[in-house]
Amino acid sequence: MKPPRRFPVFAIVFGIAFAVVYVIAVEKNYALFTYHPAVNAFGAGVQEAKDGPAMYWYGWLATAGIAASVAGALACFLPESLTRRLWPGWAWVIAVAVMAAFAWILRNFFLR
Amino acid sequence: MNSTTVLLIIHGLLAVALLGALTHQAVSVWAPVRKPAGSFIGRFRSVPGASYGNAVVVLYLLTFMLGGIIYPDYRLEVRVVVEQLGLWSQNGAFELKEHFAAVGLGLLPVYWYYWRQPLAAEHERTRAALTTTLALIVWWNFLVGHVLNNIRGFGS
Repeated sequence: MKPPRRFPVFAIVFGIAFAVVYVIAVEKNYALFTYHPAVNAFGAGVQEAKDGPAMYWYGWLATAGIAASVAGALACFLPESLTRRLWPGWAWVIAVAVMAAFAWILRNFFLR
Repeated sequence: MNSTTVLLIIHGLLAVALLGALTHQAVSVWAPVRKPAGSFIGRFRSVPGASYGNAVVVLYLLTFMLGGIIYPDYRLEVRVVVEQLGLWSQNGAFELKEHFAAVGLGLLPVYWYYWRQPLAAEHERTRAALTTTLALIVWWNFLVGHVLNNIRGFGS
């Protein structure tokens, strides 16, 4: 399968934006929706827990997925002279940095 | 045996396949064997890494989706027990698992692109780094999932 000519630009920017938006979404709780597993119900945006815990993980994924898709699509419209300089390694460098950031954010779990 | 247990077993089996594919690929990019290998280790290193690209993407997506389906049961039935037992490290390890899995999901398009055939020689390091990142994520997630599953116990 031959991807579109601009696909690498989309894929690199998507990877970077997904990781960055995801960690921001988790930290600031920008969940697109909330899932209430005890009552099997979804609600728009961030909601309080109902008859059990509230799950935001799916909402964070949705927030990051949409934002990264938009960022990737917009990057495809940038001039080729600019995108040619986009280093593909940023995708994994940012991903590893975000994973390290999560380890730092969650450090209290391991320091109790 | 309820449906969650069945899905958990399938999730685990898919994770084993994904782990194998990514480990093979990682070893083949970091320690490739150019000539025919005779030993087990040599044969392990000499696999054509590119042949695993599509399989890794499909297995990651399937494993991730199944994990997402059974996650509410974990949240309701396992996490509560883990918290009551005061197992904070294990709880934190699972929190990392869910976030690492999400980060890996975002890498799949770029991973797929750089592993599609024919391979571009100038992107060998990018491929190696992407594979290593995904391999670390999958190894962490597999081990943490295994430990958490052992805490709660099978079918309990």
